[in-house]
Parts: sequence; C-alpha cells; structure tokens
Amino acid sequence: MKRTLPLLFSLLWLGSTAAWAQAPGVDEIVNRANLMAYYQGKDGRAKVHMTITDSQGRKREREMTILRRDTPDSDDLAGGAYRGEQKFYVYFHRPADVNKMVFMVWKHLDRDDDRWLYLPALDLVKRIAATDKRTSFVGSDFYYEDVSGRDIDEDDHELVKTTNNYYVLKNTPKDPASVEFSYYLAYIHKQSFIPVQVEYYDKNGEKYRVAKALEVKTIQGYPTVVRAQMESLKAGSRTVMEYTDVRYDIGLPEEIFTERYLRRAPRKYLR
Amino acid sequence: MALKTRIIDYSLDHPRLITALMAFTTLLLVAMAALPSIWPERFPMLHSIRIDTDPENMLSPEEPVRLFHNAAKKEFSLHDIVVVGIANERDPDGVFNPASLQRIYRLTEFIRTLRWPSVEAPERVEGVIEADLIAPSTVDNIEQGGLGSVRFSWLMPEPPKTREQARAIRDKALRLPFLKDTMVSSDGRAIALYLPLSRKDLSWRVRKEILGFTRDWEMAGDQVHITGLPVAEDTFGVEMFMQMAISAPLAMLVIFLLLWWFFKRLDLVASPMIVAMVCALSTMALLIVSGKTIHIMSSMIPIFIMPIAVLDAVHILSEFYDRYPRYRDRRKAISEVMHTLYAPMLFTSLTTVAGFASLALTPIPPVQVFGVFVAIGVLLAWLWTVTFIPAFVMFIPEEKLEGYGHGAGGEQKESGLLARALPAMGHRVVRNPGVVLVATLLIAVVAVWGITQIRINDNPIKWFRADHPIRVADRVLNRHFGGTYMAYLELSAPEKEEDFDSWLTGLEGRLRAAMEQADETGAVPYGALRDHLLELRGKVRDKDKLLDALSEWGNRQADSTEDDALYDAWQEALTLLAAERQRGEVFKQPQVLRWMAGLQSHLTSGPLVGKANSLPDLVRTVHRELLLGAEKEFRIPDTPQAVAQTLLTFQNSHRPQDLWHFVTPDYRKSVIWLQLKSGDNRDMEAVVRQVEDYFRDNPPPQGLEHHWFGLTYINVVWQNKMVWGMARSFLGSFLVVLVMMVFLFRSPLTGILSMVPLTVTIGLIYGIIGIIGKDYDMPVAVLSALSLGLAVDYAIHFLARSRMAVARAGTWMAAVDEVFGEPARAIARNAIILGAGFLPLLAAPLVPYQTVGIFIAAIILSAGVITLVVLPALLTLLQRFLFPATGGTQS
Repeated sequence: MKRTLPLLFSLLWLGSTAAWAQAPGVDEIVNRANLMAYYQGKDGRAKVHMTITDSQGRKREREMTILRRDTPDSDDLAGGAYRGEQKFYVYFHRPADVNKMVFMVWKHLDRDDDRWLYLPALDLVKRIAATDKRTSFVGSDFYYEDVSGRDIDEDDHELVKTTNNYYVLKNTPKDPASVEFSYYLAYIHKQSFIPVQVEYYDKNGEKYRVAKALEVKTIQGYPTVVRAQMESLKAGSRTVMEYTDVRYDIGLPEEIFTERYLRRAPRKYLR
Repeated sequence: MALKTRIIDYSLDHPRLITALMAFTTLLLVAMAALPSIWPERFPMLHSIRIDTDPENMLSPEEPVRLFHNAAKKEFSLHDIVVVGIANERDPDGVFNPASLQRIYRLTEFIRTLRWPSVEAPERVEGVIEADLIAPSTVDNIEQGGLGSVRFSWLMPEPPKTREQARAIRDKALRLPFLKDTMVSSDGRAIALYLPLSRKDLSWRVRKEILGFTRDWEMAGDQVHITGLPVAEDTFGVEMFMQMAISAPLAMLVIFLLLWWFFKRLDLVASPMIVAMVCALSTMALLIVSGKTIHIMSSMIPIFIMPIAVLDAVHILSEFYDRYPRYRDRRKAISEVMHTLYAPMLFTSLTTVAGFASLALTPIPPVQVFGVFVAIGVLLAWLWTVTFIPAFVMFIPEEKLEGYGHGAGGEQKESGLLARALPAMGHRVVRNPGVVLVATLLIAVVAVWGITQIRINDNPIKWFRADHPIRVADRVLNRHFGGTYMAYLELSAPEKEEDFDSWLTGLEGRLRAAMEQADETGAVPYGALRDHLLELRGKVRDKDKLLDALSEWGNRQADSTEDDALYDAWQEALTLLAAERQRGEVFKQPQVLRWMAGLQSHLTSGPLVGKANSLPDLVRTVHRELLLGAEKEFRIPDTPQAVAQTLLTFQNSHRPQDLWHFVTPDYRKSVIWLQLKSGDNRDMEAVVRQVEDYFRDNPPPQGLEHHWFGLTYINVVWQNKMVWGMARSFLGSFLVVLVMMVFLFRSPLTGILSMVPLTVTIGLIYGIIGIIGKDYDMPVAVLSALSLGLAVDYAIHFLARSRMAVARAGTWMAAVDEVFGEPARAIARNAIILGAGFLPLLAAPLVPYQTVGIFIAAIILSAGVITLVVLPALLTLLQRFLFPATGGTQS
C-alpha cells in the first residue's frame, strides 16, 4: 500500500468535504462507488496515455481520446437515477499506424452492449458482437468492462470488512459461467467512495488481477482517478492509464456517437 | 621388470593387507558419496548426488545455440511443451461429444492447478503456465456474429450440453488456422492440449498427474496420449535409473553364472565379481564426490566398467585353471600366471584407458565425464586385478583346490569342446592363410560399403521401445495432428537500422513530398516542420530526440491555431512524424508478411512439417473475419497501417499476449512455429535445408536473417557435435593405441598387426549398422570407443602369447599347438563370458541400452573370432618378417 500513500492524502482531503454521519449500507456503498468511478457529470472527455509493460519490461504506448456521454441527466443516487445508458467514443492518436482508429460503445443495462470499430486503413466500419465484455481493451491488461464499468446488478455484493479507510466489498457474479473470476474484492475509500484497489480471484481462489487507483485529482469538483493501473499476475504484465485534459459537462451532442462519425471524427471534441 | 615381481610377490605375501586396503578405500569413497546424499545438511563440504536427465546438457551451457535458444524462448515467451492428446474412436463425432468435452473441460481446470513451489526458491511456483495453456476452454474463437459483426469469444466457455453444440465447437475451431491441426485434428475427432512448462524437468510429474486424473477415461472411450520431447526426455531420465538398477546386476549375474560354469569354483569365481563391484562402486562414488552430475551418459559407466573389470581376471582364472593341475601349488601356479599375463594385462588396460580417455577430447561435456571416469574405473580394475586376485587365491587352502583345473581328472565337456575345436581351427587357418586373407578383405570391402551407407540420426522419442506409451502417444498424435515436435524459426531484421544522416535526408524528402501532395492549408504544417527540421538538424544528432523536439514544437503550433482545418492539417503532419518512429517495424510490412507466408507454405507443402503457425496466419485470419469471413479475404492487407489495425483488433481478445509469441513488440523479430511429424534429426535437418533453399531462391525482403531454436533443432546440433567429436576422438585414440602397440612389441609390424582385429571388428560392426539401416545414434557413437578398448585386448594377448610360444618352440608353425591351447582358450572363454554378459540388456525397455547390449556383445564376439582367425593367418603369411631370428620358412 506504500504506492498509494499520496493518494491517501488526497482522499483524506476529499473526505473532509463529504462527512458521513453513519455507516452506509452495502447498497449505498456499491452505488456511490459506481457513480464515482463511471458516471460523474453528464458527460466527459479525457486524453489517455496508456503504457503497457510486459513481463520482460518491454513497454508499448498508446494515446487516445475518450469521450463519454450519459443518457440520464441526473447524478442522483436515489432510485439509481444516475444509472442508465452510456455511450463511449475512443479515438486513437498513436501509434501513428493506428491513428484515427475508433472504438465506439453503447453501454446498455438490460442487454448486450453495442460496439463498433472503425479501421481507417481498411476503410472499414465494423460492428463487434459484444457478448463478452471481459476481453482485453486494445491489447492492454484492462478489459472493456474495466473501462466502461461493470453493471452492479451482475454481482451480489457483500461487505466483508470495514477498515479505518476502506469498505471491503466481496462481489460474487450471479452468473459464474459468464466471467472468468469467482469473485473480486473492492477496497472502497470511506470518504470519497473511490474504489482504490480491486482484486480478482480465479476459480481456484488465487488472486490473478489487481486494479489500483494511483492518483486522484479533483476536476471541476469531481474527484477523478487520473492514474490507474491494472496488473495481470499470471502474465506478469501491467498497464497504466494516465488521464489528462479531463473535462466534464462539455455538452457532447448525442449525434457524434453514431456510425456516421466514426469515419469523420468530431475533431472539435477531440482537440 | 622388478616392479612386476615386487607387486606380484607383495600381493602373494600380504593377501590380508591388500584385501583390507581395497575394502577400506572402496568403503571410504562410497561413504563420501552416500553420506552427503542422505544427510546433505550434515556434510555441507561434500557433494551430494546430482542427477541430470536433460539431453540439452549434452551441449555446454555456453554453447551459442543454447544461449540463443534460451534468449529466444524468453523473448517470445515460449516454453517447452507437453502435448496431451485425447482421441475417441468409439463415438461417431470423436471427442466432440458432450461427455468427452465435459471431461476435457474438467481436465483443463485440473491442469491449471499443476504448479508447485520451486525446489531452489520455494516462494516461486513452477509448472504449467496457465496464461499460455492451449485448450478448448482457454482459447478464443473469432467468427461472424450476425448483422455483419465480428465476434471474439471463448471457444468453449463451458462444456456443451448437446451434440449439436459439441459439433459446433469442432467446426468453429477447424475454421481457425491456429487451432486446426494444432488443437483440433483435421479429421475432427481428436483434441490436443498444449501445456507450456516453466521448467521442462517437471514434465514427468505433469504426465503422471494427468495419467492419474484420466485413469478411468478409457472405459468411456477416451484415450489419453501424452508426448512431446520434454516428456520423452524427462521420462527417459526416470526410467534410466530403474533400468540401471535392473540391467547392471543382471549382467553381473549372467557373467557370474558363466564364470562358474567355466571355472567350477564358486570361491575362485567370486574374486572377479568382487573386483568388478569394487571398481563400479568406487568409480560412481568418485563421480559423485567430484561433484559431477549423473547424466544419461554417466549412468552407463557401471555397465561399461564391470565387464572390462572382469576381463583381465578371466584371463588369470583361465590360465590358473589350465596350469594349476601341472604344479598343484597355488602360489607357484598363480605366480607364474601373473608373470605371464602381467605385460599383456598392463597394456590391454592402458589401451582401454586410452580409448576412453580420448573421449575427453570430444566437445560434449557428459561424454567427456563418461570417458574420463570409465578410464579411471579401468585403471582401478587393473590395480585390483593384479593385486587382489592373487591375494584372493592365497586365501583358498591348498587342499580345497585339489582336483581343480583343466585336464585334471574329470574333464569338462565344455572345456573339452574348446580344447578340441580351437587347435583344429588353428591348424586349418595356418594351412590356408590366403583363404582367410581373401575372405577378410572381402568382408572389409563390404564393410566399407556398409559404412558409406550409415545414416546418422537420433530421436529421443525412439529411445523408448515401440510399445512404450510415449511411443504409442507419439504415433497416435502425429497421425491426428500436424505434429508434436516443435521447432522455431526466428526471422529478424538486421541489427542496425538506417544511419542518422540518411534517415534525416529521407525524412526531409518525405516531408517535401507530403507538402507537394497536400492542398494549400494541408501543406502549411509540412513546410513548417521541414523548415524547423533544417534548423534543428545541426543541433540534435539523435533520431528520437530530434523527433521529440519536432513533435513538441509541432504540437505547440497545432494548439495555438484557432482554425479547425489547419489544426487537422497539423495532426496529419504530426502523424507523419510519429510514423517515423515506426519505420523499423519490418514485420508490419505487407511484403515481409507475404514472403513469410510463402516460406510457410513452402515448408508445409512437404511431408515433414505438418503445421506452421505464424504472424501472417494471424493477420490473415483476423482480416478474413473482419471482411465477413469471405475465404478470398484470407490475405495480408496492402498497407502496414492495415496490418497494424488488424493486429490491434486481434488484441481485443481474451489472449492479447498471444501476439507476442509470434513477433516482438518492436516488430523487428518474428518467429514461425513449426510442428514436425517426426523428431528424427535427419528430418529436422531436411527442414533446415528446405529453409535454406527458400532463402536462396526467394531472397528475403529487408535483409531478413534467420535462426533456429527449439528442442528438435538443439538435438540436431548436439548430434552433429557428437558424431564428429566421436570420430575425431576415435582417430586420436587409434593412433595412440597404435604407438603403444609398436612400443609394447618393439616392432612396427607387430604393432600394426595388433590393430588388425579391432579395425576389422569396427569396420564390420559399423558396416553392418550401415547395411541393416540402424541409425547411427548416441549409443552407437559411444560404442566405437568401447570397441577400440576391448577389441585390441584379444590381439595383445594373442600376439604376446604367440611370441612367447615361438620363443619356446623355435618357429611359428611349431608354436601353433601351444598358442591354440591355453591362450586361445582364455580368449574364447573371455569372449563368450563377456559377450553373453551383455545380452541381458536386450530385455531393457529403453532402446539405447538394447543397442549397447547387442553391439557390445557383437563387438566382443567378433573381436574374439577375428583375433583367433585373422591374426594366425597373418602371422603365417608374415612369419618371415615377424620371427626372423628363428627363420620362418620351415613350413
């Protein structure tokens, strides 16, 4: 936990703005953490610098811009009003040979997501059948679901421990056959509700994947993880995503999240 | 020879001391080897027993091919692989039925857990590398997902419930070049799982666990076969020790029974057995004490030492048996025997030592160890034979020897046969020396032709008998699949990329060309970047730093512009700059990938390579599925960008790391996996030649270089070293022995004569190997050293005794009777005892031991026969030159 020390200080500072009179229930923790991680603001954008380091220490870098737009207008926890459909637009800058490549995702809560892929060099727009969201996100250690958020209704949540700083949630899939983990533990910071560390355990009870929030900044009033890491313990690789130029509530129009805009990137919002 | 008399007299005078000394040194050595092996913590200063069953260690760890093999394996995260094949001949759909797939699913889950704490570092786990395991439930399927979509999903996320589902899994896998013939047999009836191991010496254990887990599958119709070179090698290592525990004592037993039959006296016969045991034990103990590992080669040391140790003692006993009745005085008889045999025994031992010590000149460490320690064992055998055997005779009370020996009262049938047959044969030979000579020359001609037919080849799988489960698995799996022998061909771009100045000139040209092609707005950033480049070029002399500086400057220009069109133009120009960093990525170049695809189909079109997996396959498969799965789209797209985007698409799968088994992230090295149907070295060599041919006929783009790695290839390298190393050391020791012979007989002619039986024997044996088509493999190569040491022995004894006989009788013809008496009987008995002593090895389940057994027996018997037939013929023909003092023309 040494590496997360600077993070803790920033979290403590954040905490002072949100003092809770009494311990929240599991449901509330889950929903607050979910909101914190994936639904802040009406929309948002960030430039992402991704560094993938393999077990031999070889590094690969990617640069992209991610746009997000939530369908619900509200960030209200009550009745899960914040939850709803989301749309993502991931535009690649680097490496140069994948420049202009685009991934687009329509995230649904009640059915499989819709996913598109645009390959400029083949001048090809392709739908991807997204029955399985737990595949690698562009060759990194993150999965699609880590980037877009795993629906909280897919797991049963249990508060297994409360430490000085964290609520430790054990999340068990309702449909074990649909995922590769048997459960995961999420360490959710008590004041900010940021999931600071998430550990995945396989069917033999072995920990094989660890996500960590490495740095948090408050941007436009939203506590935001600006450096996140995912480690694959079995492959010995890890990926760090650094978020810069983060902006919320920029009024992204719904129309740019359509097939039409895959070939003609909405330059205005990518700048 | 004062020394000779002193040694013999001392042994006869102090039998107890000699015996005590022998017992003490042997026990001491054994204790020094055994104690630290049993209680390593109590004897840290001593070496404990170390066992090494890895044929890779036939090559020194610093051998370039091994260094490259290890570096390349690491670079591509490739590991030695255990192949588990499951076939079902009973079900109409083979293993693609719900019950079999359910079992395979469970087996895969079990295999995931096959990991154990490392012996050296308990905090580290070793075993199956789960992330790279290839099984239906661990690999991805790429397919059309309806509505023109492409789908990435686990091929078998859970076992199917219906037959249709099971067959669908088969059909999906057969569409994927990666899985067809690798994981799924092309006949759609069998599945193979590939288990990469972090250490290949765990493969025996992995095999055992899997066999245990699948014990009852046979009843359900699923046959489980496990093979792969690591399993073969590791299993061989384990069985080798069981083998030694059976074969060596069995050989001793047979030798013992034959000795007993020839010499009748249990107590007398015990002495050579004691010498043999003492020598084998002491040598193995010395090996352990010296810190050497017990390897496939060194495990054979006792098998070699024991017969050689018995050899001299048989001569002594044989002489003693024949002479004792004459004196009825054991001291006088043994003393005379020892005096007669001292020189020939010393020289036969020294020649044997020379033969084995010459192996120290081979470039193969385990062979060096083998040669040196057998040589030590032979020296020990000589020492204890000349001291302990006479001492032992002194322990036997005279009255117990009464009535003992050849021709003493109860004539034995067997010695009677030898006693009658040998002189008769001797006389026939000396009457017709020309016939013998012509026959020998004929044999020699055929042998030479046979030797030219020798096929150098080896294959660790074939070290097992044809009915061994590993051999069966090998046959079954190579029938169903592309092949279980992995060889890897690495292709790499030349180390050096283009130099800075020519790159700089090129970049300027590329900026100018882009500027000329662009519209008015688009041209602005290219021009600006080019101008800025000209400014910077003198100051920054490093490609990356120059690009950093240029892009940083360009980014600032882009950010400061308000005009969206101009901003876009800047992004285009900056992308061109970023592409400069990827100029070295040759394995994204379509022409490189197409050339590789050509090489791959060149290789797989022949019968040897059953399957190849490569980067072009991966690109072509994803490209096809991106373009609606149309077969005509199974091709390399036309630009490096299209290749890159295809690969990035592939990396959205469950196993993105699979890409790095085929190419390095800098795209400057790529590897083609070849699955060979046979692990025969000659087949691997043929594939190597095919690749050379392809390179010659189709010059590779970008100056690509190629290097091989993988166990199948390593075996070829050490085999070649072995064959030529053995040939060199054999020639070397042949010359050494020749010089020794000339010195011993103080006659160049006799010296050369003494080499005749061994030359003919070796020619004959290796000629036969060539004619019958037996592969010249590791054990056959080692045998040449043994044959040299043994075959010359009979000649030394024969010639030495012939000279003594001629000295007594006056002429060679007059000496024939004596020569074909005791001396010939000793040689004949010797050859029969030793030859038969090795025959129990034929029952061994491991082929190299069978080979050693049959060929040693053949070498010994033919050396005996040739000595007794060819040498007297030559002596007859050359007697004028050989025995000039006595005048040799009396016949």
